[in-house]
Amino acid sequence: MLATIKCELKSFEDLAHSFAAKELTVNREENDRYPFGPFFDATLAKAYEVGLLGTILPEECGGIGQGMNALCIILDNLSAADASLGGIIFTNALSQEIILSAGCKDLLTGITGQATDAPSSLIACQSFCNAAEIKTQLMAVKNKDSYILNGTAEYVVLGGLAGHALVPAHIKEQEGYSFFLIDLKGKGITKSEPVFSLGLHSCPAVDVKLTEVKGTIIGRETEGSKYFDQASDRMHAAVAAMQCGIMKGSFQEALSYSQERLQGGWEIINWSGLRMLLAQMAMHVKIAEMVVSEAALAVEQHEPEWNICTRAAALHLSELACKLTTDGIQILGGYGYMKDYGQEKRFRDAKQVQALLGLAPMRKLGLISAIVKK
Amino acid sequence: MTEPGQYSIPKGGVMISPKESSILLNREPRFEDTFCSLQAIPRLPKGMLKETKDAIAYAKKFNDEVIRPLALDIDRQTYADPEYLPWDLVKKVNEWGFYTMFIPRLFGGQGINMPASSYVVEELASACVGIANVVGVHYLGVIGVMGSWNSALTNKIFRDVAEGQRTGNPCLISLAITEPGAGTDVEEVELIDKGRVSCYAQKVKGGYIVNGSKVFISMGHVSTWCCLIAYTDLKKPSDNTITFAVKTGTKGFSFGKHEDKMGQRCCPASELIFEDCFISDENVLSNSKEIPPSKTRNVREIVEQYIQYAVGVTRPAVGAFGTGVARGAYETALKFASETEVDGKLLINHEWAQIMLADMYKNVVIGRLSYIEANYSNGLPGGIYDILQMKPMYYYLKYVPKVFLDLFVSPFLKLKFMNRIFFKLYVDGQSVEEQRRCSGWSSLAKVVGTDMGMKNCQMALELMGQAGLRHENGAEKIMRDAKLLQIYEGTNQLNRINLFANLIGRSIPQAKAFEE
Repeated sequence: MLATIKCELKSFEDLAHSFAAKELTVNREENDRYPFGPFFDATLAKAYEVGLLGTILPEECGGIGQGMNALCIILDNLSAADASLGGIIFTNALSQEIILSAGCKDLLTGITGQATDAPSSLIACQSFCNAAEIKTQLMAVKNKDSYILNGTAEYVVLGGLAGHALVPAHIKEQEGYSFFLIDLKGKGITKSEPVFSLGLHSCPAVDVKLTEVKGTIIGRETEGSKYFDQASDRMHAAVAAMQCGIMKGSFQEALSYSQERLQGGWEIINWSGLRMLLAQMAMHVKIAEMVVSEAALAVEQHEPEWNICTRAAALHLSELACKLTTDGIQILGGYGYMKDYGQEKRFRDAKQVQALLGLAPMRKLGLISAIVKK
Repeated sequence: MTEPGQYSIPKGGVMISPKESSILLNREPRFEDTFCSLQAIPRLPKGMLKETKDAIAYAKKFNDEVIRPLALDIDRQTYADPEYLPWDLVKKVNEWGFYTMFIPRLFGGQGINMPASSYVVEELASACVGIANVVGVHYLGVIGVMGSWNSALTNKIFRDVAEGQRTGNPCLISLAITEPGAGTDVEEVELIDKGRVSCYAQKVKGGYIVNGSKVFISMGHVSTWCCLIAYTDLKKPSDNTITFAVKTGTKGFSFGKHEDKMGQRCCPASELIFEDCFISDENVLSNSKEIPPSKTRNVREIVEQYIQYAVGVTRPAVGAFGTGVARGAYETALKFASETEVDGKLLINHEWAQIMLADMYKNVVIGRLSYIEANYSNGLPGGIYDILQMKPMYYYLKYVPKVFLDLFVSPFLKLKFMNRIFFKLYVDGQSVEEQRRCSGWSSLAKVVGTDMGMKNCQMALELMGQAGLRHENGAEKIMRDAKLLQIYEGTNQLNRINLFANLIGRSIPQAKAFEE
């Protein structure tokens, strides 16, 4: 497992591992049917009960106050079984990180304090988008001590179930954008049907239309981009952890299948061509484990260039995961393409996770910008 | 000193005799295997060009009018209703005449040249590879039937297809090879005896009793005829292969589930179940036990040749599917990049995006060149298209009135000696070297086209980010659809080994493929 950091955080690993085995693996195929099947409310409720949704939330805000390494361990273990719950935890954590970056702990304390169940504790956000790259379609106008928001926010992840959402909006005649917290149960909110997407089906997004919606500003005006970048620097480690988990799951499934399936008179693992594919997968899984643990440690210890480490980790592991999960299907042949096994889902999830936090090529370019700035 | 007449072209004063030239050109990479198009194009009848252009234009129209308006809706429908079968779509395809388009006129079809089918499927696949399969898989069955060289039964089945078009009751042919315990094994004679085949045909009076099941049979549920591969001895299937034409509704032949696949969802992958299913002798397409003696091959090699003829056509077609997918992904990404602003300017004006798009364009072209070259290989001597593309034969079949073919030629197809003629032409008429060329190229085309398809899907989604994930934008569906292409028609791993065996290992005596 994550060699460098496992000792002190073994309990989180055990928790996530057993939760994944009991709650996620068994119902994976069924849960993946959403939005054409039921949503896994009960599983989400259990995740809330055991504290998986508030890992990095400070204790004073009602969370368990763990660092990035605990979050990575949890996401890694969950994603090996089914990355959808990982997507929910990720999105919620990203919202929390942005709010914390802006120094608005009180808002988080309020939400956690008032939450009565899992959905009401969640904060939706556009976790697949860097608002600085695209024109935001939301406009905010100051009205006494609050703001009034109008327009559309596309692909708000968890928007269909969460109590609140964090949305970027443009304030008239100002550069850049600002973040606002809105109450999704409040007036003026119109949600689309769940957007049917490539992967992470149980971590759904909706388009949200806002008409005269009251929003609470997060931090200062026009500083949305700064808060997002700070949160994103940290959360890239979490993307890497999800990809690591997906890769592990795909490798394990391929390995066990190849020891059972016969072809040409013996188990397919005995064909050296296939063994080479497995070897490559094993190699990439090991590399992923090392990269994730180093990236998470770099965050925790604020090592020099820690944010370049996390971003490089996420970008690289996303590329590896997209390649590896393709081979993961290939090893199972036709069966890998069917929903009966988890391989096709992992292939879709890896590609979906690659798109977290904005366009991958732009994030790559951002890496150079960060290096040049130093 | 070289005698006059013994040398051909002087090169810088060095003389090469014809014999030496031939030796040099036979060295690896052999000229004959390397420049298929250069050798094939001068032999082609001119009419093929016009015919192919017309077929491509027709496919583009079908894309505009049928595929694009339907593709995403049907895909979504398959999630909402897991029992969905594409009956309406099949009817539409039938109305447009795609099911008879490439069946020779001799057998009641439209007789558009077969290589054109790959250009057509590339076109269709660029809009939706699932629907392209709803069209194209039928031709897998067509090839399976035709490759048996059983002219009487081929004529009967193909005329059913034509009748289906006339009456509006689609008549499709599926090909059933894959079994629950054997996928790759049944694609290769070298592997099949070690595999776990279970579809058993027992000889009884007047026919056979078949027991067993087949899986992942594309379009099984909606086909009328099934070209079924079974075995009369499960211990030694390579020498005991029998091919039947079974009609849906035959007692003892039923359908199990159809698979819940990641993509290509409009094209069902069916389970076929045979329980004491009696199939009469009349419906035997070919039986390896009754193969007449051949000067060039033993029985096992003839079965191998039969498979290679079939996959020699279908693998380049899958390469064309892959190329179509690569194109679909590229076109979707290009449209997005042309309309979307990122970081203050249109994506298409970012240099890095231009380089990505150029790479995607390149991938499409590479995929296309590969399957085109495989088609040309099939049109050279010994290739399956060779005889049909000979100018007199081509123009005869194209222009002789259909009535004449139906009245005066078709009846001859029922005579046994016709089978012998076809057998002579296609079994003994193909040298082992020619078989290797066709087989190697078909595997190459399949691997390249489908790998390019996957590559472009990955790139398109990277370029589109969040927008690419949404079903309604199409890109994610293309990626889900694409992955299957690397698996069926022989996994890309099997095809690489086949490429090695046929175009690389053949000239190295100590090299052994499929024998680890």
